[in-house]
Amino acid sequence: MRGHTRRRLAEAARLLAIALAVFLAVLPLLWVLLASFKLPADVAQLPPRLLFTPTLQNYLQVLDAGFASFFRNSVVVTLGAVALSVGLGVPAAYGFSRLKVPAARALLLFVLSMRFVPYIVFAVPLFVMLVRLGLVGTHGALIVVYILINLPLVVWLMKSFFDDVPTDIDDAAAVDGANRFQSFALVVLPSAAAGVACVTILSFIFTWNEYLLALVLSGRAAQTLPVVLTRFLGGMEDPVRWGLLSASSVVVLAPVVVVTLLVHRYVRAGFGGGAN
Amino acid sequence: MARRAPSASPPSRLHRAPNHQSRLHWRETFGFIGPALLALAVVALVPVLWAIGASLYDWHFHRSAARSFVGLGNYVRLAGDPRFLNAVWVTLIYTTVSVSATMVFGTLLALLTKAPFPGKGVVRALLTVPMIMTPVVSTLVWKTFFFEADQGLINWVLGIVGIAGPAWVASSPYAFVTVLVVNIWFMTPFVYLVMDAALEGLPGEVVDAAKIDGAGYWQRVRFVILPMLRATIVFTVIFRITIDARMFEIIHVMTGGGPARDTEVLTLWVYNAALRSFHLGYGNAGGVVLMLLVGAACLAIMLVGLRDLYRRSVST
Repeated sequence: MRGHTRRRLAEAARLLAIALAVFLAVLPLLWVLLASFKLPADVAQLPPRLLFTPTLQNYLQVLDAGFASFFRNSVVVTLGAVALSVGLGVPAAYGFSRLKVPAARALLLFVLSMRFVPYIVFAVPLFVMLVRLGLVGTHGALIVVYILINLPLVVWLMKSFFDDVPTDIDDAAAVDGANRFQSFALVVLPSAAAGVACVTILSFIFTWNEYLLALVLSGRAAQTLPVVLTRFLGGMEDPVRWGLLSASSVVVLAPVVVVTLLVHRYVRAGFGGGAN
Repeated sequence: MARRAPSASPPSRLHRAPNHQSRLHWRETFGFIGPALLALAVVALVPVLWAIGASLYDWHFHRSAARSFVGLGNYVRLAGDPRFLNAVWVTLIYTTVSVSATMVFGTLLALLTKAPFPGKGVVRALLTVPMIMTPVVSTLVWKTFFFEADQGLINWVLGIVGIAGPAWVASSPYAFVTVLVVNIWFMTPFVYLVMDAALEGLPGEVVDAAKIDGAGYWQRVRFVILPMLRATIVFTVIFRITIDARMFEIIHVMTGGGPARDTEVLTLWVYNAALRSFHLGYGNAGGVVLMLLVGAACLAIMLVGLRDLYRRSVST
């Protein structure tokens, strides 16, 4: 009987600890979401007002501040970078999984090691090179540069997804007369579709959120949202502007948060596989 | 049949048309992996080599004609530069504390959520929110709403229990605490996800056998579960080190390296030296040191962790 009580207490403590962790995990998101709908008079109030008259005023101000063009920068750069990295990385992963590549281990290690280099080491030379080429502040430059963040991830994760597809289906395709490319595109790739979804979503999150390379390389014309947020809202000491800060933050967060919560399965599969 | 990978082909076929086959195979292989490797070489390998080369020059970007070869001179200068040595120290402490804390919290969370409970799927999804939130945004939220001195949530809560909270972001030991807190909050979900997946892959019979043998919960964790996860733990620590040692956005947004360079990590030092003061040679030398430190730390952990693993597998 006493053992039973103790076990129930332990279970209650466990659930309480989990609840606390969830609370801490989502608190900043909830806070900024609530603040974005508050009037200046409510936003800095302590104790925090949970019941207030919601307003869209902050979001209208964000629109007025020309946020739309920066949002477009982020969308163009992210879509381009994801398409490029997935387009290059998925065939490479297939090659490493299915073909006899000379020095395969060394090449894979090279790909992975690029993921371990601190980004600032890339950022400085790339800045100098792009200045000389006159390409600082172009969408194309950022799209190409983001290969170095996404490609190693795509290659490694996709290789493990391809490795999980049994080679029997390659053999069956070969018997049916498929050439190597047909076998890849029509047989093996569809069987690894979950992997493609997974690397696409992870690349999307990493690119959308990236700050250092964007700060150094985006110039004035191609500034993405994280860069704009700190510049254009720098010095947020004035509580009156907290509503504006919150609304623009929500605009930046919305795509990644919505995508992640909708297809959480794939995000989990990617990180569980040791991504990042 | 002829289009199968050569490894799978019978030897007789290879003998019949070796040249044609190997040429076809070579073209195929290059077609699949060539573009990715070339792209990565251009955007990643070339800059790294360039950075190493530049670190051997005294080179001010605005007077680029005036660059002169100084060999290892920049590295010698670094060894006597108190601001640089401070950055090395700050990076070391920052990375060590943050990696350790996230490993402990993430593993505990994974253990806590292992047994089923109502709403597990939703909880798992919500626990990943810090990691996918744009770091610049979450840092701004922590800075303006939580750590703010007069109108922040944390000092308000402290005030309720009668403690006058400090000016977190702006005063000396506290600024370092704030960036650590945000970094730990940001990266715990990563460890959680990896450990959660690893726990799911464990053979249940072994854990059950320990339970039947009378091992208590913490004994099972300590002597059965954690040892089986050793390889995962080693690789997670390595990933975590590479992420925290290059952390930029949290610190840049929260403190900008201040106060009094309390939070100036190496990445920020290189950023300031190479891209604000435009000392390309000197700044890059610092970047190369950072890269070497990260590489050395990862190698050391891999050797220690895996040597142990090897010994274990030999003794059993």
